[in-house]
Amino acid sequence: MTAPARETAAHALDISHVSKRFLVSGRKMLALSGVDLHVDEGEFVSIVGASGCGKSTLLRLILGLDTDYEGEVRIDGVRVKTPGLDRAIVFQDHRLLPWLNVRSNIAVALRHSPLGKAEKAERVDAQMRLVGLERFSDAYPAQLSGGMAQRVAIARALVNRPRFLLLDEPLGALDALTRLRLQNELLRIVRQEGATAILVTHDVDEAVYLGDRVVVMRPDPGRVATVLSVSGPQTHDRSSPGFIGLRDQVLALLGVAYNGAELSLAREADAREAAPA
Amino acid sequence: MSLGRTLALPARPGIGMSMSDRLRRFGAFAAKFAAKALAGLAVPVGLAAAWFFCARWNWIPEQILPSPDAVWQTLRETTADGSLQSATLVSLQRVLSGFAVGIVAGVGVGGALGASATLRGYIEPFFLAFNQIPHIAWMPVLMLLFGIGETLKIVLIAWAAFLPATLCTLQGVRDVPAGYRELGRVLMFDRRATFSTIILPCALPSIFTGLREGLANAWHALVAVELLASFEGLGYMMAYGRQLFQLELVMAAMAVIALIGLIFHTLLRWVELRLSRWHLEGAA
Ligand SMILES: Nc1ncnc2c1ncn2[C@@H]1O[C@H](COP(=O)(O)OP(=O)(O)OP(=O)(O)O)[C@@H](O)[C@H]1O
Ligand SMILES: [Mg+2]
Repeated sequence: MTAPARETAAHALDISHVSKRFLVSGRKMLALSGVDLHVDEGEFVSIVGASGCGKSTLLRLILGLDTDYEGEVRIDGVRVKTPGLDRAIVFQDHRLLPWLNVRSNIAVALRHSPLGKAEKAERVDAQMRLVGLERFSDAYPAQLSGGMAQRVAIARALVNRPRFLLLDEPLGALDALTRLRLQNELLRIVRQEGATAILVTHDVDEAVYLGDRVVVMRPDPGRVATVLSVSGPQTHDRSSPGFIGLRDQVLALLGVAYNGAELSLAREADAREAAPA
Repeated sequence: MSLGRTLALPARPGIGMSMSDRLRRFGAFAAKFAAKALAGLAVPVGLAAAWFFCARWNWIPEQILPSPDAVWQTLRETTADGSLQSATLVSLQRVLSGFAVGIVAGVGVGGALGASATLRGYIEPFFLAFNQIPHIAWMPVLMLLFGIGETLKIVLIAWAAFLPATLCTLQGVRDVPAGYRELGRVLMFDRRATFSTIILPCALPSIFTGLREGLANAWHALVAVELLASFEGLGYMMAYGRQLFQLELVMAAMAVIALIGLIFHTLLRWVELRLSRWHLEGAA
């Protein structure tokens, strides 16, 4: 099931032998250790893993916000040195600017777009409709709920139609219904735009539902444990046996057992038992 | 300022309101304002009453605490002969020019210091040390440099306004959260966009704190320099009144200074609120 790492030809995004150290209270701490991941154009990759295993750190490296690491992050075979408008992110903390209203918060992403004024306004409107916030276009972030703020952040990331869409737990603060709706929206947009998406999530269901592949990471040091391919009839059908099997497999890899409808944190032994050999 | 500004919809709350709604809103606003004004007036009115009775029953000799009527009388006389207006005008001119020079330089220097850690490393300790020195203490040095003419006054007032403007701007710019700067990098903002969309709005409340402190400082410096080295202005009026044991003259000047200071303070506050509506609305 593990996707083979094809090192030879350049993919849309290549992450090769990436290690990242942080200095924490005077000690070098390995946040990422030998991470290898190769993503094809138009692929949707989900990343799951325990808190602190370096998921957000990895996204920062892909963005080019931090270039102080070992290994290489390459786009079309070219090393990433700086941020670029080809990559957009929904930060884990939504990071809206408190002094701009919803409309302006989305519009700032178009600041360097070659579009005309009217086109820009139209795009922003379309994004607001998409995330269902057109009635709040004049509201300020402090007047929004957590989930609404996250939707604005999603709209801001999408408005530029980026080639790579990085999503750091973008649906974390949403209610179940909005969440399901936006999952479908995300999928639709990503497909429609032909974007390549990398989604960090703690929701295993979501990871399997949206991802063409699911990357399972482990902490201490942060590394890729397994990459599972989601393909065939189970794709996007939450009740298919294939889907459920995959989901349980991911949960097991995370050290959580799933029995029937009851989700429980299991001991290491249980997790090993639940994992298929 | 930002692209967003130009895109902002004109839709504002209150556009589609009926007349009675508006009246009710205005009524509520007026009531709130009146309550606030009453609360704000309670202490001054109480003090004025105390003052009135002190003078009335001679608890404190008139040479030390003149009666309110005497002060009022003085205010009217000096207004009638034009001496109050001319003193006020002179002082106002000095404060405004000194304050303007001080805050323009202060916001500029503070912004540069806030943006550059290297620069801060070199200069910030000096500023913190300078800030401990009362600005009046510079007067002897400045007198030697500039004489006792108009330049001395402007320089001293400017310096007094410069320090808090610099330090507060520095703080505001330095403390812009790293996450916002990072967002600017991800959105490929150039320096201008970063400044106008992220740094300036984020630092604005702190900058205005500096401006208000600078304004208060400017008045302090004005009175000090006019008491010591001037033949006109409100400070001089006070020095003159003290020498002649006409304390009502001193108090009249104090009243004018307090009133003008309050007006300026309110103006600054109003400008700040206009510029940061999000703060207000967000808190509501
Ligand atoms: N700027 C930093 N300085 C020092 N250590 C850092 C820094 N950023 C991250 N780390 C460390 O790197 C590790 C990985 O952090 P990261 O934020 O990538 O985790 P994560 O997988 O996104 O976790 P979560 O699911 O909780 O968001 C953590 O142990 C964290 O302490
Ligand atoms: Mg994270």
